[in-house]
Amino acid sequence: MLVPARTLFLLMILSGLPALASAQSSTLTGASRSMNPAISVNGLIRGQTSRENPTGDLNGFKLDGVELQFISVVDPFWKANFNIGMHPAHAHDGEEDGHDEGMVVHVEEGYIDGQSLPGGLGLRVGKFALPFGKHAPLHMHQFPFSDAPVVIAAFIGDHIFSDTGALGTVTVPVPWYADFRIYGVNGDTMPFDAHNKNLVGGGRLTNLWDMTEDSTLELSGSYLHGPDARHPGENKSVDMYGADLTWKWVSSARTRGPALHMTVEAVLPDYEEGEGDPWGWYGLVQYRFHRNWWAGLAAGQADAGLDHHEEVPGHEDHDHGLEGDLREYKVNFTFVPSEFSSLRAEMVYYQDKVTMEDDLRFIVQANFTIGSHPAHLY
Amino acid sequence: MLNINSNRSAGRAATVRMCVFAALIVLSLTVSGQAVAKVKVVATLADLAWIAEQVGGDDVEVSFLCKGHRDPHFLPAKPSLARKLKKADLLVYNGLELEIGWLPLLLDAARNPRIRPGQQGELNCALALGEGEILEVPVGEVDRSQGDIHPLGNPHYLLDPRKGIAVGRLMADRLARIDPAAADRYRSRAEHLAREIESRMEDWEAQVDSLAVKKVIVYHQHWEYLVEWLGLEILGVIENRPGISPAPRHVEGLIELGRLQGPVLVIAATWDHIEAAGRVAEKTGSALVVLPGSTYATEEAAGYLDMFEVICGKLETAEETAEETGAEGGS
Repeated sequence: MLVPARTLFLLMILSGLPALASAQSSTLTGASRSMNPAISVNGLIRGQTSRENPTGDLNGFKLDGVELQFISVVDPFWKANFNIGMHPAHAHDGEEDGHDEGMVVHVEEGYIDGQSLPGGLGLRVGKFALPFGKHAPLHMHQFPFSDAPVVIAAFIGDHIFSDTGALGTVTVPVPWYADFRIYGVNGDTMPFDAHNKNLVGGGRLTNLWDMTEDSTLELSGSYLHGPDARHPGENKSVDMYGADLTWKWVSSARTRGPALHMTVEAVLPDYEEGEGDPWGWYGLVQYRFHRNWWAGLAAGQADAGLDHHEEVPGHEDHDHGLEGDLREYKVNFTFVPSEFSSLRAEMVYYQDKVTMEDDLRFIVQANFTIGSHPAHLY
Repeated sequence: MLNINSNRSAGRAATVRMCVFAALIVLSLTVSGQAVAKVKVVATLADLAWIAEQVGGDDVEVSFLCKGHRDPHFLPAKPSLARKLKKADLLVYNGLELEIGWLPLLLDAARNPRIRPGQQGELNCALALGEGEILEVPVGEVDRSQGDIHPLGNPHYLLDPRKGIAVGRLMADRLARIDPAAADRYRSRAEHLAREIESRMEDWEAQVDSLAVKKVIVYHQHWEYLVEWLGLEILGVIENRPGISPAPRHVEGLIELGRLQGPVLVIAATWDHIEAAGRVAEKTGSALVVLPGSTYATEEAAGYLDMFEVICGKLETAEETAEETGAEGGS
């Protein structure tokens, strides 16, 4: 009598055969808890009022995002980092709309880093944050304000800019600190045409000078090239240029003493097919005025660069992305009682200079981390 | 023809001579280069850098990451620091997770396989501490309601000079493995350093032993090893949960305790919240003693031994102030 495969499988489970097979292929270290990865969870909770509430879902409280992170050395050759993000659906990413309070799960990052490459070279393989500018590679809990600047949201995306491929890093032999990163990725994320098989390529040159013991100046340039999501299937490309300048000062004489961070970043997309000269920028200042308190100010712009707001003839079905001239002004105060939690109160004013539509929002946001979360890069 | 051949021979001989001469120069440069090649040591802390300099002498080239005047818990992981690690042959660090907030980031950024965990070029100096020598190892469940606690125990052991001796010997052993040709020199220097520290310790201990005020209130749990070595007693900690600003109720309780059990000395490191420590000192009628928490934290603490000189000197001076203040408060 023939035994159906499903029955056989059930019998195997009941007899414990899989466990036996697993034990035979396991190693001693595989059973040791000391080899567990560092695990952490970060949560963002937001309360918001919007005067205009343009999408109808902006008022109220919501779980703004959850990030689950695993980091561990794999073996003498690789170190791995996995970051699973859950956040309300983003309609612009082709996700289900957020009206049903549904959450979308993303592997925000999942990569391995080479640990023993010759010549101090770095190699990262997997899905990783693309090094384009200062803000785009940030996880949501690292944002200096509750939302991404309009220029980043309009041209790149409003959460971490990550994609799958490979990235190489080399330290440039100059008297100051400089590194060059070059990458090739699939182009599965905004602003790229995910159905186009052409790879996205890009690079970033970072220069950083220690101005004094307490202050640094960073001047960096970024570039990428890939298929344009606004023209799916048409093999049109976009070149994206970015430049950013950051000055940081942190008093070294006192623990949690005064600190001042200033950043200016500009992004210029150059679409193979498209009207206007789109560009945008933001600038922000953060000041630690008390041991546990920061104040922040920011302004920004994302301009489609069109002379007037109208459909491009023959391309009515296309998603043109940004079409107006958005401005933003933000102010916030953040209370940071420990390294693992913060509470933020923020006021934001948005205006579209073309349509003259505007909105005023008040936001409160709680940010907390549990578990073994690594410090962030400088 | 003969003349021509003769000239050719002479030319060849000259060429050979030049080649030999050049080879000798290259060889001598190579040999001398090897002779002066120094072991590049990067220390995370100024204390460790100073000890490495004493033990390594002319055989090493030492730099360090966290300047003495900085709180070593909160060093910004600047890329320029990763650059220092990039060429290191030996990384010496405090351990007990003191540098957990920044060293792993810098190690990743440096991409130097010689100093990766488990390699010969990585030295956790806490390994110099014997069994039971690590203070304040948490017992029972540990979570962050206790603040940014160190699960492996109090990491500030370098404020006990006896631990400095042990660290010096540990460094000598590791340097001897990396650079066997100079092994004897490293071990000899470590013993010399041990003798020097021991000879100075007697004076420091005698200086503090003569103090009438033996009780202290400290701002952060930074001074436990120093206090244990010098036979002082910690009455309380202002920042009772590490890394968290103290609650007013806790501070009031501490002030009350200080008043009841005074006179006391209130001790803070140069990077601590001096104003908060000052308020406790003022309200308890005690003297505030701001001490170098590390080598090079102040100009006077220009070496590991000088740091202890300054600490003991300041405790002695402060006691006189405390007694005067206490007497005035009492009258």
